[in-house]
Amino acid sequence: MVEWIPFIMFLTVCLVLMAGYPVAFSLAGTALLFALMGMGSGHFDPAFLQALPNRLFGIMQNGTLIAVPLFVLMGIMLEKSRLAEDLLGSMAALFGRFRSGLGISVVLVGALLAASTGIVGATVVTMGLMSLPTMLNRGYSSSQATGIIAATGTLGQIIPPSIALVLLGDTLSSAYQQAQLNMGIFTPKTVSIGDLFVGAIVPGLILVIFYISYVVLFARPKLDIQVASQANHGDAQLVSVLRNLLPPICLIIAVLGSILAGAATPTEAAGVGAFGAILLAALKGRLNLSRLREVAQGTAQVTSMVFLILIGAAVFSLVFRGFGGEEVVEQFFASLPGGVISATILVMLVIFLLGFILDFIEITFVVVPIIGPVLLAMGLDPIWLGVMIAINLQTSFLTPPFGFALFYLRGVAPDSVETSAMYRGVVPFIFMQIVLMILLAIWPQIATWLPSIVYGR
Amino acid sequence: MIVLSKIAQRINQFTHRVGQVISWLTLLLVFLVMTVVISRYLLGIGSIAIQESVSYVHAIIFMLGLAFTLQRGGHVRVDIFYREFSVHRKALVDLIGAMLFLLPFCGLILFGSWDYVMASWSIKETSSETGGIAAVYLLKTLMIIMPITLALQGIAHIIESILVLNNAHGKSSSKGES
Repeated sequence: MVEWIPFIMFLTVCLVLMAGYPVAFSLAGTALLFALMGMGSGHFDPAFLQALPNRLFGIMQNGTLIAVPLFVLMGIMLEKSRLAEDLLGSMAALFGRFRSGLGISVVLVGALLAASTGIVGATVVTMGLMSLPTMLNRGYSSSQATGIIAATGTLGQIIPPSIALVLLGDTLSSAYQQAQLNMGIFTPKTVSIGDLFVGAIVPGLILVIFYISYVVLFARPKLDIQVASQANHGDAQLVSVLRNLLPPICLIIAVLGSILAGAATPTEAAGVGAFGAILLAALKGRLNLSRLREVAQGTAQVTSMVFLILIGAAVFSLVFRGFGGEEVVEQFFASLPGGVISATILVMLVIFLLGFILDFIEITFVVVPIIGPVLLAMGLDPIWLGVMIAINLQTSFLTPPFGFALFYLRGVAPDSVETSAMYRGVVPFIFMQIVLMILLAIWPQIATWLPSIVYGR
Repeated sequence: MIVLSKIAQRINQFTHRVGQVISWLTLLLVFLVMTVVISRYLLGIGSIAIQESVSYVHAIIFMLGLAFTLQRGGHVRVDIFYREFSVHRKALVDLIGAMLFLLPFCGLILFGSWDYVMASWSIKETSSETGGIAAVYLLKTLMIIMPITLALQGIAHIIESILVLNNAHGKSSSKGES
């Protein structure tokens, strides 16, 4: 009976979350109630909670997570100063000559910019508001338009530099350390956020290529109104397009490049990115005091939100550990027939299902520390695991009827767009995601090759 | 009831004011990181004090921004069902959640960190790095301030929820927005 308590606690939390009270408090509060009951019955040693101040201070001093507020600020600034919107407009103008031009632009902008905010809901809402009306006007069917937007809104999660990968990289790096220590390796190898960034590039590009091919081949708008008018504009327009296009793209490339080159830490690169975004907004004349305040407040809020979940998850994991949860999980995986393969499939399935109720951040902070060390000790590559988790979650967010992306897009889509049309629209994208995961399972090199070149791992 | 809503109002004002100040620190953070980058890559000098101030500002932002974020409804919920709830039902969830989860959480952090922070104060703990900031004990004090500000805002929410539930007999009133 006692060994089931960790599982019961986990299920209870999932149920409690459904009530809708903020996730971080629900996590910590439920765990705390279990701890109190456990102390009463003598099954829980309060000493486990004494580690909390140290954990909390560890979170406060975690140098790599300083990248979070900086990337968030960069994303919010690009969005609020409407630079992202300009980028989409310019791309659409650039590709407007082609019939699928708008669709391609939406995919590319999503891939470039959705990255930085890192919260599925916010990104999908932004992309939806920015591009859904235009797409419908230009003759895309509502299922095509919503499918493309939902998929590209979540795409940013796995394309560096994204907050999701920063958080996942940080969590995996400690899980990897722990796995090796448990195995008796006292000079452990390390995995960093940079490693995960590099590892995600090739799979991310493959997805972008998949999406664009689909958009070009199958999701074509019925009308061709824009093509004729666009073709008339000459070189003068090209200049203005490039003026809108180049700065944000250079910014992203500079941020990413400096990390990849190993010159800057993710935090430093994020700082440069945030500063660059402020500078761009200022140069465009889009910066005033009230907008600056809006961006600063948004950044403070999103940052606090992320870190509260981290603190709540820390409380949860301490109690989970206090009830012997880690041993239970370990034994369970050890007794699983089929070894590492079935363990991985099972974990991916659980994460996929959890993706229906929890966002990227919660899963990274709650689930990955529990299952990460076990799976990594079974010999999985940490970069591969991180990339798989990221793509898996992205798929989960797209899957009807619970996918996050669909909920949020529903919220901003006009009533003329039927929910069933949205469901139909995302199916091809889910299929492409699954294909990529199968490819990754067969050829892990897709994720691990580039890091091995860059870092010589 | 009027006294209660006055209290909630006061707390809301306080949280709002702190939040405003905290928000500007995000820009300071960008500035500090840029200073680190420029001095390191262009001038070739590194300052541990500036490095550490980055981490101080960062910690202040999220530790003191928690209550502000709570006030603004910025902490994520699983809102599959919550979003469809009536005002009355939402108030009930918020009331129970605050009493059962939020306040105990704040209590745990506050009392759990007390000795830890006091131990740091008693030796006026400084940075372990030479040239670092000699105020680690002040940084750790955030672990006491954070749960207090968060609990205060939680109490404001409890009061607001009670007021909503009380009003629910008549017309459903909209939730107090600050």
